[in-house]
Amino acid sequence: MRGKQGYRRVAAVLVLLVVLGVAAPSSAAGLAARFEKTLGAGTAPALIKEYGGEYVLPVQQRLWVEEVFARLVAQSEREELEYSLTVLNSKEANAFSLPGGYVFITRGLLNLIGSDEAKLAAVLGHEIAHVEKKHGVNAVLRQMGLTVLAEVGVVALDFLSAELLRMAGLTLVQVLQAGWGREAEYEADLLGQELAARAGFDPAGAIRLLDALAAADDSEQAMHVFRTHPDPGDRRDRLESKLASYWSEPAVVTDVQVLERLIQCRNSHQHRRTDSKDRYVLEVSGESTAGVTLFDQQTQERVLWAENALVKEAAWSPQGDYLALLVDGQAQGELWVLNRWGHVVRKLERVPGTITAFCWSPDGTMLALEVSGPSGSRIVVAYLDADAYAEVSSGLSTHGALWLQDGLYFLNGENWFRTVPPETVPVQVAEPVPLVLQRKRVLTPTLIKEGSTFRLTRPELTPP
Amino acid sequence: MVERKLAIVLLAAVLLGTAGTCQAFQLTDPTGLYSTQIGDHWVYQAHHSTPELMVFYGAGDFELLYFQRLGQVAYPSALDFARRSVELYAGPGGLDQFELVKGFAEVEVAGHKGISCAYSYQDAQGNRLWEYRIFLVLPGQEGFSIAFGDNRPEAASGSPFLEDVLRHWRWLF
Repeated sequence: MRGKQGYRRVAAVLVLLVVLGVAAPSSAAGLAARFEKTLGAGTAPALIKEYGGEYVLPVQQRLWVEEVFARLVAQSEREELEYSLTVLNSKEANAFSLPGGYVFITRGLLNLIGSDEAKLAAVLGHEIAHVEKKHGVNAVLRQMGLTVLAEVGVVALDFLSAELLRMAGLTLVQVLQAGWGREAEYEADLLGQELAARAGFDPAGAIRLLDALAAADDSEQAMHVFRTHPDPGDRRDRLESKLASYWSEPAVVTDVQVLERLIQCRNSHQHRRTDSKDRYVLEVSGESTAGVTLFDQQTQERVLWAENALVKEAAWSPQGDYLALLVDGQAQGELWVLNRWGHVVRKLERVPGTITAFCWSPDGTMLALEVSGPSGSRIVVAYLDADAYAEVSSGLSTHGALWLQDGLYFLNGENWFRTVPPETVPVQVAEPVPLVLQRKRVLTPTLIKEGSTFRLTRPELTPP
Repeated sequence: MVERKLAIVLLAAVLLGTAGTCQAFQLTDPTGLYSTQIGDHWVYQAHHSTPELMVFYGAGDFELLYFQRLGQVAYPSALDFARRSVELYAGPGGLDQFELVKGFAEVEVAGHKGISCAYSYQDAQGNRLWEYRIFLVLPGQEGFSIAFGDNRPEAASGSPFLEDVLRHWRWLF
């Protein structure tokens, strides 16, 4: 009842202000920002308390988190806001933001993220995007029944700030529990991904994050990030569909020297022949064989890996950690990735079409696949650590691809085109502090003789 | 008879000599920044080390020596590097019961000036530890740190072992 009276008073003042034309646009924008900040600042303490208070990260981790956050904030566009980040002392994996630039992340979510800076950038970018797009403040106003633009409404702040803020604060907490809304989440996902990419983080980090959250969700951990968000699969699809947009538009290569280099590279066999320890030498037969044959230089014997597959093409990654095999699948070409012990660690299953050829990225984290389908042949990049795909040939029909240090080249008719992946910059703390180490204790088992045999007991903690 | 005596003396000298020989070994940083000599009873800790961080355990339960490369840093001087580090060690999220026991002093490591200091703190098991540390900003704005720690207060003044390590220190650039 008291709330309704409050709404009426707010609405009455708003109408009055609109009628009288008091609100000058520039000052109204400033007041809107002030309203947001006051609303966020007023609500933050209760939420911090609810989440177990502020958690102080160890120095090195704090510097790392702050650096990621600073790089993202530098890409934000609302200069009237001052963003702040608070780590909350909760094991629940969660992150949220309040109007005015107050961003929160729990230690539980930081634990889940580990040292993957692209995942952290995805979370923080998502929360910054909510603030950039005013999702929180708009949701509050909507909930309060105020359809008048916030920029106009907050002109009344000086007149009824206490009442308005009290009600808005209560509403904000309610709305935060329910989430800002499906469309707001989708929008924050995409803008967050864009902010991360602009700040020099891998845009596929957002997909890895969703996968990590989904995996954790399967475990016992309560995943509050998902509770208020739309279907994770749908979010993942949307983020994946944007990956190609972060690659440069394919451009025709006209530089004669580059073209000569491309022809040379194409004519010579570019693939690495051995694994990273130079133990397994790949034997290339030139035709499809059952399995892939390698010569083990240690035992001086031939070994056969993936013997159940009809292998058309094989190549070690540039670092020699993984072996990619193009195999004849039941309906189409498939790509398998083996580790350097011959175990299949990945099968690329969602490839949109038939894989006819492939090449590794220079850093060994991606594969460029030549994929043929009804609309012709295209280049699809497979992100191995994110199980994601991006069509980077922009609809051009292709035949042949080469991935060199300066970009991914592909042939369209007689022309070579080049496209470049988004640049990623590792986090480098400008003013780092050295580690302070303590000696680790090691676990050593005790050997007990039992008759003619020996038994290892449970490890015992002893100083090294 | 004389030959036999001489042989016995020589054998004894060899045996005694071997027993007293220092097992020091030459360490060359895998990243090619420095080399030094690590004395007897100090063991390289492979599980604790990375190319940027070389860790050695001494004979005592808490004796620890480690060198860390920090990459490019923005500190204008070693003193700024030391001050900022100590400030963060002493602050929230830093070291428990931190106490600076020896203030900043200029020190030279193979011709490069750095800043040394010593501090004490309590580890997670409640042990009081002392650590002597040198901060360096090398050419190319490379941050570097040398640390020697123990559970004895004397560690705050370094040790003959550390002096030996520093005496044999060579930069490889």
